[in-house]
Order: sequence, then structure tokens, then C-alpha cells
Amino acid sequence: MAISLREVVKRYRTGKVVVEALRGVSLEIPRGEYVSIMGPSGSGKSTLMNIMGALDKPSSGSVRIDGIELTRLSDSELAEVRRRKVGFVFQQFNLISKLSALENVALPMWFAGVSRSRRLRRAKELLELVGLERRMHHKPSELSGGEQQRVAIARALANKPEIILADEPTGNLDTASGMEVIKLLEELNAQGKTLVVVTHDTDFGRRARMRVKMRDGQVLEVER
Amino acid sequence: MLDYLRYSMRTLMHHKLRSFLTLLGVIIGIMAIVSMVSVGSGMEESLRKQLEVLGSDKIVVSPRIAYGTTSVILTDDDARALESIPGVAFVSPIYTVSSDVEFSGETKVMQVMGVDPEKAEETFGRGAGSYKLLSGRWLQKGDRYKLVLGYSVARDTFTRDLWVGSRVNLHGKEFEVVGVFAKAGDRSRDYSIYTSIDVLRELFNAGNRVTFIVIRVEKGADIDKVRMQVEDKLKRRKGTDKGYYVVTQKEIMEEVGEAYNVVKVVFGGLASVSLIVGAIGIANTMIMNVTERRREIGVLLASGASRAQVMRIFLMDAALLGVAGGAAGLALGYGVSLLINVAAERYLGEGVLVTSVTPELAVFSLLFALLVGVVSGMYPAYRASRLEPVEALRA
Repeated sequence: MAISLREVVKRYRTGKVVVEALRGVSLEIPRGEYVSIMGPSGSGKSTLMNIMGALDKPSSGSVRIDGIELTRLSDSELAEVRRRKVGFVFQQFNLISKLSALENVALPMWFAGVSRSRRLRRAKELLELVGLERRMHHKPSELSGGEQQRVAIARALANKPEIILADEPTGNLDTASGMEVIKLLEELNAQGKTLVVVTHDTDFGRRARMRVKMRDGQVLEVER
Repeated sequence: MLDYLRYSMRTLMHHKLRSFLTLLGVIIGIMAIVSMVSVGSGMEESLRKQLEVLGSDKIVVSPRIAYGTTSVILTDDDARALESIPGVAFVSPIYTVSSDVEFSGETKVMQVMGVDPEKAEETFGRGAGSYKLLSGRWLQKGDRYKLVLGYSVARDTFTRDLWVGSRVNLHGKEFEVVGVFAKAGDRSRDYSIYTSIDVLRELFNAGNRVTFIVIRVEKGADIDKVRMQVEDKLKRRKGTDKGYYVVTQKEIMEEVGEAYNVVKVVFGGLASVSLIVGAIGIANTMIMNVTERRREIGVLLASGASRAQVMRIFLMDAALLGVAGGAAGLALGYGVSLLINVAAERYLGEGVLVTSVTPELAVFSLLFALLVGVVSGMYPAYRASRLEPVEALRA
């Protein structure tokens, strides 16, 4: 299994009120799967995604990525997991505005200790892969939304992770560039990456082989 | 390391105005330290060189110029009284003054040393670091309106060069140049003028006042013993042992060094206050930075940065701010010290005060600025590294 969740509970404390974002979620995602997670806002789908990617820690339950139990890892080991195992794509693109497209893509390799010349070479290859080799010295502010998201996808691939986690990747894009991004992600899945997508867009969600419906912090149903 | 530096450069350049405003505190602080300490070093340097003229067999009596003590006025009578001390070979009173000097229509302010013409060669022309004549002769017994010039007075000061035989107006009286010294490489010497002590005192109505007294001990005499006797005698004559120094050359060097260390520490301390303000500025910006750059921190963490790496990124930002401020402050401080030189030359006369920015001072100020940066960046960097990835990304 690429990702395996058992009885995952996540509680937030906002002031004096305790919110239960996830109420016992169990889910098995096989390697190479194409998964969409859908549900109304507040259903816990983003929280679930963050926990899958070691960005957030569950209050209880078990999370395994590639057989590694995350709940037993130290902060620096969790950073290692984020660095090697998963690549994130966000709705807001989350590129670093002062860095060029090329440098943004190279960033995760810096943290993985790859030499500068090798990082830049690979970043260039990745930008070619997403069709942006001509824009590699541009700053994010000089790129369109669709282009920015493609840079973000190239960045997610930098350290060759097994798993791509995309949280509303088309949420800020027009239909045409949204479609381009979907195609790109699906291509990566076809090449063997496990792809998990959180989306509001039912057309997009329906394309996945495994569809997870969530409501009120619980998995309502899983379609295959 | 280089990667962190590169990343921090981007941050610095991305927020140019804010970076500059943050830096201002450090720039001003370092500038103040560099310029103030350079004045202290310069004063020390010029006095040290002035005193180097005297050989190792000499004792000097000079007034104390420190704060809080009334200066004792030395006279010819004091000098004469010292001649009877056993072991004393020779006593030469000297009177110095800053005077206007006019030559072919140009007027400059220069340091003038009055010495007994008969003793001039004895006083300056013997032993280690002695003066050498380039042309002409030393002052001689009976010389009145005669001058011997330091090399730079003759060659570098006026548009036209001065030679033996040139006529110069010193404080309204005409003097004749009888000698020019060879270049000594030390501004205080090369920019001084030497004449008869009696004539100089008449000109400035100084009565029988003496600025300092040079004593040479006999060969084989115990210089420390002679010095103690000089002290005793002066104490009896003046009724106090305060207000003047009686020292051998070695002691002068040590004392001068110490005195100016105090000056430098006081100046440096004052300047440090502004640096502390600068440090608070950096810390403040860095803390705001952490809040403002939460999302960036989130992205770094999501891209696999460890807490230690995030901490290093922010520490490097602060260190770079410090060093950049230090370098700018050093450059400006050097500029200010050059301006002080120009002003000193105009108002105090040439060669009296030459500020010096020593390599030690430059290195020290850069390291200090770096330290200020790192120390003030430590807490903000720690805060940045403690953020939870999800919280940071939510910002």
C-alpha cells in the first residue's frame, strides 16, 4: 500500500471549542492508484490530505506511508518523509515569489542535499516536462495561473516522490488551464505515481479510479 | 552555506526598502564606531610618533592634558633647576604652538616648535629616530628669526616649494629658512617648523613658559633613578606631583597607548548604543518577517525543509543584514574619518591629527555587525523553525 490510514482522528482546539475534523477515518490506497477525495467544505478532506502528506499529525490512529508509521517519527524524520515520499500541489500554487521558476523547482532538492549543478539540471528537465522551459527564469508573478501550477507540479516531482498529493489543484484556474493541469497529473499517474486529488469539481473527481466521498469528518463511501 | 547565502540575498533584494531601513540602525552604529575610534587611533598615532623623536636615553616632562586635573605651568626656571641633578647631561626646554604661516601669499596653520637654538641638534639630532638634514644647517647659537622646516612643510604644503634662503612670515614676523629636514615619513615631524624658543615665546607672549622639557641622561647613568630625582625636584618646586608627567620614552609609549585605549573604549561605547538600537531594529524586522513569511515557511516545510534548515535560513538572513549594514557602515565611517582629516587639517593645521582606520578596526566592526545580526536574529529564527507546517500554510 502507498498510503494506509487506520482510525485516524483529528481534533482542533479553537479557543474553548474542540472541533473534530476527522472522526475515525480508515483508508487504503494502493500504489499507483488514482484517487479523488470529494465532499462539502468542512468535511475534513483537506485535513485528511495534510495528514497523508505528513504536514499535519493525527490526534490518534495510525498513518503509514510506504509502510512507514508516521505517528512514531520525530519532526526531522517527518521532514525527511515530506522530502522523499510525497510531492504537494496546492490550490494557491504556493510558489516562492522571489525565486525564479527554475529555482522554485530546485528548492526541494536543496533540502535533500543535491548539489547545485545537479539540482538546476534536473529542474530544467522538469520544466521541459511541464512545457515551461522557455519561462524558467521568470518569477511567479510573471507567469499565468496555469503556468504557475505547472511549475508547482514540476516542483512536486523534484525529489522523485512515489506519491503526488494535490489539494484543489484546479480551484484557481480557468477551465482550459485547469484541464491542462488535470492532463499533466493524470500523465504522471499513468507513469506510475500514486495520485491523490482533493476537489470540489465533480467532473474532475469522476475521472479518478478510486473515489472517496467524505462528510463530517468521516468517509461516506469509496467507489471503484 | 553558499545556498543559504544565495537564498538570503534574494530575500534582501526582494525587500530592498525594508532591508535598507532595517540596516540603517546598524549602518549608523558601525559608522559611528569606525569614525570615533579612528579619531582615537589617529590621536594616539600622531602623539606616539611625536614622542618617538626622543631617544631611549631621554626623559620628558610634559603637562598632563587629561580631564579633571589642573595643568601645571612649567617654566625655564624649572628646566634650569633640573640641570643640577646628578646623571643629567643636558636639559632642553621646548615650547610648541600652532601658528599661522604665510609664504608667497598663502597662509596655513602649522605646528611650530621652539627650542634653544644652541641645543637643537642635541635635542633632535642624536640617537634613535633622529632628524637628518636634507639641506642647510641646524639652528645655531644666536639664531633669531631663522627656521628649519620639516620636509613636507617645504615641499607639500605651499604651491611653491620652500628652500634654504626662502623668507616666510610666521605670526606677522619675517623669518629666514636656514635648513630643511629629510623626509621622516611621519606627518607630525614632516609638518612641523623649528625655530628659537625665545623668539617664539616673544611672538606669542608666552613669557618663560615651557611646553615640555627634554632631559638626556649621562652615559651609564641609571635612567630610572634620574627620573625619580626629577620627579622629587619638580614636586618640591610645584608643590604637587599632579598636572605633569615625568617619563622615559618607553613609559610614554605605554601610557599613550593606555590613555587612548580609554578614549577608544569610551567613544566605541557611545557608538555601541546606536548599534544596540540597530540590533533592536533587526530583531523587530525579523519577528515581523516571520509573521509575514509564514506561508513561505509553510512552503519550505512542505518542500521537505527540516526545522534546522528553516532556522538556518532565517539566521542567515539576519547575519547577512548585519554584515551588509556593517560593510556600509564601515565605508561611511571611513568617509567620515577622511572628512575629519580635512577639517582637522584646515582648523588644527597639517599633520596634527590624522585619523586612521586600522585593519583591526575594519575587521572588528564587520565581525561586530555580524554578531549583532546573528544575536538579534536568533529568537525570530527559532520562532520560524517552530511553526507547524499546516498552520504556516494556512496563513
